[in-house]
Amino acid sequence: MKSKSRKNKGRRQFIKEILAGSVGLLSFRYKKASAITSPVTTNRLRPPGAVSERIFPSKCIRCGRCVEVCPYNCIVPLDIKEGIYAGTPLIYVEDIPCYLCMKCVEVCPTGTLQPIKQNETRMGLAVIDKHACKTWNEELALCRTCYNVCPFKETAIKLDQLRPVVIEEYCTGCGLCTHGCPVVTKDGKKAINIEPIYSQGPVKW
Amino acid sequence: MVEKKISLKKKRHFRYRPIRFLMLLGAFLLIAITPYLNSKLHFNFVQGWFQSLSIGKLWFVSPLEGLESILTSRLLYGPLLVGMAIPVIIALFLGRVFCSWICPISFLSELIDRIILKIKGKRYRKDANPLPRSLIWYALIGEILLALVIGAPIFVFLSPPGLVGREIMVATIFHTLAIEGVVVIMVLLMHLFQKRFFCKYLCPLGGLLALLGIKRRLVIQKEEELCVSCGTCKRACPFTLDPEKGQALSPYCWNCGECIDSCKTGALNFKWKSL
Repeated sequence: MKSKSRKNKGRRQFIKEILAGSVGLLSFRYKKASAITSPVTTNRLRPPGAVSERIFPSKCIRCGRCVEVCPYNCIVPLDIKEGIYAGTPLIYVEDIPCYLCMKCVEVCPTGTLQPIKQNETRMGLAVIDKHACKTWNEELALCRTCYNVCPFKETAIKLDQLRPVVIEEYCTGCGLCTHGCPVVTKDGKKAINIEPIYSQGPVKW
Repeated sequence: MVEKKISLKKKRHFRYRPIRFLMLLGAFLLIAITPYLNSKLHFNFVQGWFQSLSIGKLWFVSPLEGLESILTSRLLYGPLLVGMAIPVIIALFLGRVFCSWICPISFLSELIDRIILKIKGKRYRKDANPLPRSLIWYALIGEILLALVIGAPIFVFLSPPGLVGREIMVATIFHTLAIEGVVVIMVLLMHLFQKRFFCKYLCPLGGLLALLGIKRRLVIQKEEELCVSCGTCKRACPFTLDPEKGQALSPYCWNCGECIDSCKTGALNFKWKSL
């Protein structure tokens, strides 16, 4: 009985998928992202100095100059599957993190990436998954990769009895720690992840 | 009669066509090389393409993109306005010259034209005018309205002049091609079916530049005494405009100078209109 209901569920899901696919022109279903939900999630961040996600897609003209200027090629332009977010820049921090060279901020012609200092950048906040982190579980107490790679060592990240602790006030969310973290959890995240908690901030008129 | 012919020949030794083609080629090479210079050699003096281009401290922003960004976000940004100023001023004085002298789509279309004409051994492509030219204004209005409805300048993302540059950039940096490049292929296919179909009827950026250039100062003028009404200029015009009937003064003319080159009697020429 249980298996049957699950089967039905699968069918329902299948029908839903087909319906969504047929509306495809309006909502490009691509993994979890849809045409009108922001692609900015955990470890998916906007470049430094980005304006609030509420007006980001309307302000950005998709000129791709930030993508072109980035010396590490960490900024990726989203493709057309992302609907209204197509063409906007995104950083996949676990692939290539932002090294805070601040070149993209200087070239943005629309002010979508606003001039900002390196240490004032707030792309997100590093959050340690204490269940996944080896050091916090005392499995491998010597790992402190996140601490070692942080560009604002002892300011943004500190060691508390050899365990890393993020100082929220100073974390820029550049993602170097996420990139360096050797732990990969079941859902593909790391033991330290960048949450874009500032992306939905108020719009400065 | 012979003397007159010689004098006319002397008069039309200067041709705009090679210069324009060189300029199109140069503009295309510029956007073809800059992604490589930027990403591999970290040489950032020239940056971007025809959505936004910077040469040193000199910035250009495509007026349509800038306008839509301002309209959809309802925020003004100083550097954006400054960047838009030069293209707008050029369009106000010279008309739609970006399209005919710089745009990479123009370059690709012209290249296709040259190859076709070489193969066929003809001088001009046959052409007709199946749709009303005013369609381009509706394309412009439609584009801006769509951007306002969606709340994002998403269709400038699909605007071919910028798209060519972005495709080259994506190819250089990520070694792939984005799907939206299909738009460029479609535009070029439309060009095969009809001379400059997209530019003539559908390009919103062209529409905006044409709108700005309605009262342009640089125009192609006909000298009545010299014109023999042979109709060559109409055949040479990429837009099938008829300069004989004064259509070169209409907002649709993009000052490419094809008709001037084609004219055997030298009746057509650029003229700087004074106020």
